[in-house]
Amino acid sequence: MIGAKPRRMLITGGNAGIGLALAKKLAGRHQLLLSGRKPHADVADLIPAGAAYVVADQSDPQASAQALVDGVRELGWDGLDNAVLNAGLGMAAVDGIDTTEAIRRTLDVNLAAAIAQARALYPLLEKTKGTLTFVGSVAHKGSATIPAYAASKAGLQGLARALRSEWSGRVSVQIVHPGPTKTEIHDKAGYDPGPMRALFLDVGDVAKMMASAIATRRSPVTVSWVRYLNGGAFTGRRL
Amino acid sequence: MTGGSAGLGAACVRWLAGRGFDVVSLDRDPPQPDAQGASGCDSRTGAVRHHQCDLADRDALDQALKTLVDEEPFDLVVLNAGISAAGRFEDIDTATQLAVLRINTEAPMVIAARLLGAKAVNPGAAMLFVSSLSHFTGYPGAAGYAASKDALAVYAKSMRKAAKARGVSITVAFPGPLRTAHAERYAPKGADASKRMDPDQAAHAILSDAISGRKTSIPGMPNRTFAIIGRLAPKPVTALMRRLIYAKLEG
Repeated sequence: MIGAKPRRMLITGGNAGIGLALAKKLAGRHQLLLSGRKPHADVADLIPAGAAYVVADQSDPQASAQALVDGVRELGWDGLDNAVLNAGLGMAAVDGIDTTEAIRRTLDVNLAAAIAQARALYPLLEKTKGTLTFVGSVAHKGSATIPAYAASKAGLQGLARALRSEWSGRVSVQIVHPGPTKTEIHDKAGYDPGPMRALFLDVGDVAKMMASAIATRRSPVTVSWVRYLNGGAFTGRRL
Repeated sequence: MTGGSAGLGAACVRWLAGRGFDVVSLDRDPPQPDAQGASGCDSRTGAVRHHQCDLADRDALDQALKTLVDEEPFDLVVLNAGISAAGRFEDIDTATQLAVLRINTEAPMVIAARLLGAKAVNPGAAMLFVSSLSHFTGYPGAAGYAASKDALAVYAKSMRKAAKARGVSITVAFPGPLRTAHAERYAPKGADASKRMDPDQAAHAILSDAISGRKTSIPGMPNRTFAIIGRLAPKPVTALMRRLIYAKLEG
């Protein structure tokens, strides 16, 4: 889009995985605020130059939402064009049963934090008629390997479709469900995909497809091999 | 049984006690005076014990679970407790939204995982998760509630394999609007209560399905029809829900 204005974008979990890949792709054109759990010094070399960073630990959902709002304010932004609520974690369940700690942490970080953040960011998004993007997962329909993770992503799906209807005309709400992607999330979750990993999508391709999904404002969008083989990483709208 | 003191939970307790089940009910509130009388006609009436526990309180739940896993193993686990928060999403304070998630999603997930993990459920037993008919559509006007019930339904489905390995069946119930204090509180003003289902009827339907090991239970033909249409055409049905529920909130 020649002549389009740069957007003010927030990407949570922008210091690793899909969030970081998306940030790298968009940093050249847009103003970015990234969030993560780690201190700035630990990620300064990873994140793209020019992107702002704020620490927001999502294991405390309400505090993380406040941290994001403060981060936006510190940049002097009076609104947000895009918020991509991407931060999330997974923990593999031993014997198919999650520990109590895993259930609570997964729900807090993946779902409760997104609820608190959506509510806190609403005035900033409403001002610009912006877009709120939740990052779900193809696991949102259920998974015996990661039950709590699947549940948290199903919750996001339910939240997104209700909010998309509630806020229509004010804020575009969408959910994007990435398929298995080559990121560190599986190692962090304590899950070894083994040779299956070779079939996972490249994180850069996923970021490209996510960016075009965000540009279309459609919902729900599944970012997987089907989309990739249809040229999803090379065609489609650009942000 | 969680949330056995009122509404659908109380109806379930009546149904079970009437059929000779001994029931432990985990609830924040004591049972309502009219909730206990057994409605069944069997000769033996089961004992009903109330165990006070606020499911939004993590420490309290952990304490309660310590006691529960030491009880005689359960033949039936009904995860019914739930609260709602109706209104525009941006008007409901975050603490309330998070309490909905704790009570409706986190607590039943933790209870199910711990009971299964500790083998506190007999082989051949049934586990019933009470989700909501809103799972088949979008629910503008109760976004946080919808999220909590969708998450619970998918957790229940995800746990089927692990439960089956322990001989336990999992049923997910998707009740529609019921004639309970819960619905009264959250329905739009002027809604016709007579169209809502009688909780005793719903309890009978979902408990029978759970005991016979069905995967899903949608009580009432109109609700089953709604679920099918919602599944086939989620977007138009969500738009309809917006007109029926959300638009009335704004007015």
